[in-house]
Amino acid sequence: MLAPSLFGLAAFLVLPILVVLWLSFQSWDLLSPITPVGGANYADVLSDPTFYNSLAVTLFFVVIVIPVQTALGMIAASLLTRGLPGSLFFRTIYILPWVCAPLALGIVWRWILAPSDGLLNDLIGSRIEWLADPALALPSVAAVVVWSNVGYITLFFMAGLLNIPQHILDAASIDGAGPIATFFRIKLPLLRPTTFFVLVTSIISVFQLFDQIYALTGGGPFVVTDAGTYGRTDVVASRIYSEAFATFDLGRAAVMAVVLLVLLVVLTIGQQLYFGKRTTYDLS
Amino acid sequence: MTSPKRILSTLGVYVILLAAAILTLGPFLLSVMTGLKSPAQFASEDSLALPRPFSLENFTTLLTGPGQFGSAILVTLAMTSVIVIFQLGFSVLAAYAFARIDFAGRRVLFWVYLAGLMVPNIVLVIPLYLMMVELGLRNTFWGLVLPFMFGSPYAIFLLREYFRGIPQDLVDAARIDGAGHWRTLVSIIVPLSKPILATLSLITIVSQWNSFLWPLVITTGPDWRVITVATATLQSQYNGNWTLVMAATTLALVPLVVLFLAFQKQVVRSITISGFK
Repeated sequence: MLAPSLFGLAAFLVLPILVVLWLSFQSWDLLSPITPVGGANYADVLSDPTFYNSLAVTLFFVVIVIPVQTALGMIAASLLTRGLPGSLFFRTIYILPWVCAPLALGIVWRWILAPSDGLLNDLIGSRIEWLADPALALPSVAAVVVWSNVGYITLFFMAGLLNIPQHILDAASIDGAGPIATFFRIKLPLLRPTTFFVLVTSIISVFQLFDQIYALTGGGPFVVTDAGTYGRTDVVASRIYSEAFATFDLGRAAVMAVVLLVLLVVLTIGQQLYFGKRTTYDLS
Repeated sequence: MTSPKRILSTLGVYVILLAAAILTLGPFLLSVMTGLKSPAQFASEDSLALPRPFSLENFTTLLTGPGQFGSAILVTLAMTSVIVIFQLGFSVLAAYAFARIDFAGRRVLFWVYLAGLMVPNIVLVIPLYLMMVELGLRNTFWGLVLPFMFGSPYAIFLLREYFRGIPQDLVDAARIDGAGHWRTLVSIIVPLSKPILATLSLITIVSQWNSFLWPLVITTGPDWRVITVATATLQSQYNGNWTLVMAATTLALVPLVVLFLAFQKQVVRSITISGFK
């Protein structure tokens, strides 16, 4: 019974990881035969500012975008759990972007943000290069990513907030806690498992971020300096894709994939060690 | 007790919720609206102007013309169906083994599956591409579906949890009546698991209909182009022809919006129980 999925696991997960490790020591441009090059790809990638740029862009999403979307999701969830009529209707609307193709939505946003006949510039009567201006591209892309993710995050915080027993909130209110004190002193600590879950899935999803970037900027705008070329929105996944299928250097792409995998393993272990020790409150 | 202050704050909440809803729905409505406009109207009028008259011109161009969206929709449907059927079938088998059969290394193996959830697609795409090239499956239907047919760690995980919740008494009763594992699975477990199977089918349909990176990498040219790749290709070829491009995004978005609205309870539940992506 296990055989088919065991085959799948071996052939399409374990084997690819071994293949990517092997490929990281080869040179391959899709056309000529694959040839071993030892550690040359590693030396090349690890001294390449383009790669560090893509790590920095990814880090931007982790440290700026994730906190913003988590906070917005928390706010939306508190507004939606006040027992107001229509809350479920709003929830349904907010999740919609999460269910739909990020690629297609990215292209819709590409039009909205287009410089000459885009909707946003039409509305505000200007010709701002939202996606091509090196200073604006990353915030614009980040805004679209936040737009797609907030509803999904809201859903988890709603579930978390609705799990908090009413008697605890009643007790707080009898003790004279206002809404803000209740939020920071009662709800936020009790939401810690939800917050942890949301942060972990968000971080993993940042490393998966590709479709929207492809649709909006393709990793650009690219700024050329003496040290190298920097894509302002060139997240790791988009860099790996470009190395493999735009410049056809699959050895380098494999190295980047290996580095990403190692980073994620370290991150996961670190998270477990750090959060494993933190207090969570058992309400049962 | 409704004080004016309370009414005011409720009103404030609704204003925020409504503004957020408009912001969320805006791009969807704009895509449909712009897709239904003639290029002439788009060029001459305001972006927010309603289509006048409704023009299906962009959609007929897409379905009959250069974008080959008819073919892309069929390929996407075929890919989604094959993956849903095989992935769920094989996941059910594996989940049953994990939930109901004792075998050496069960725990370790299950953790290997779970670890698989953490590996990003982009890491696997490069080696999978090489493997498919070696197998001669580049730009074929099998290249598109093969890596996803043999079950997903995610489905196995959810199904295992569900199967474990099924009372042992039922399974024992079937055993006493002489049913083997297969019989137990087919006549006891699967019929009792319809809700989770429906939920998983929905999730798989959603993620396959939307999938982009793997189809982009493994197919070239129009033969096996799926709808997301067709949309991206159209956008790069007809850059600036926004009415046509918005018709394409509409074709990619609308089926899932409809599916979501029809099954939103199941989708919402499945997201919360599992953190689906």
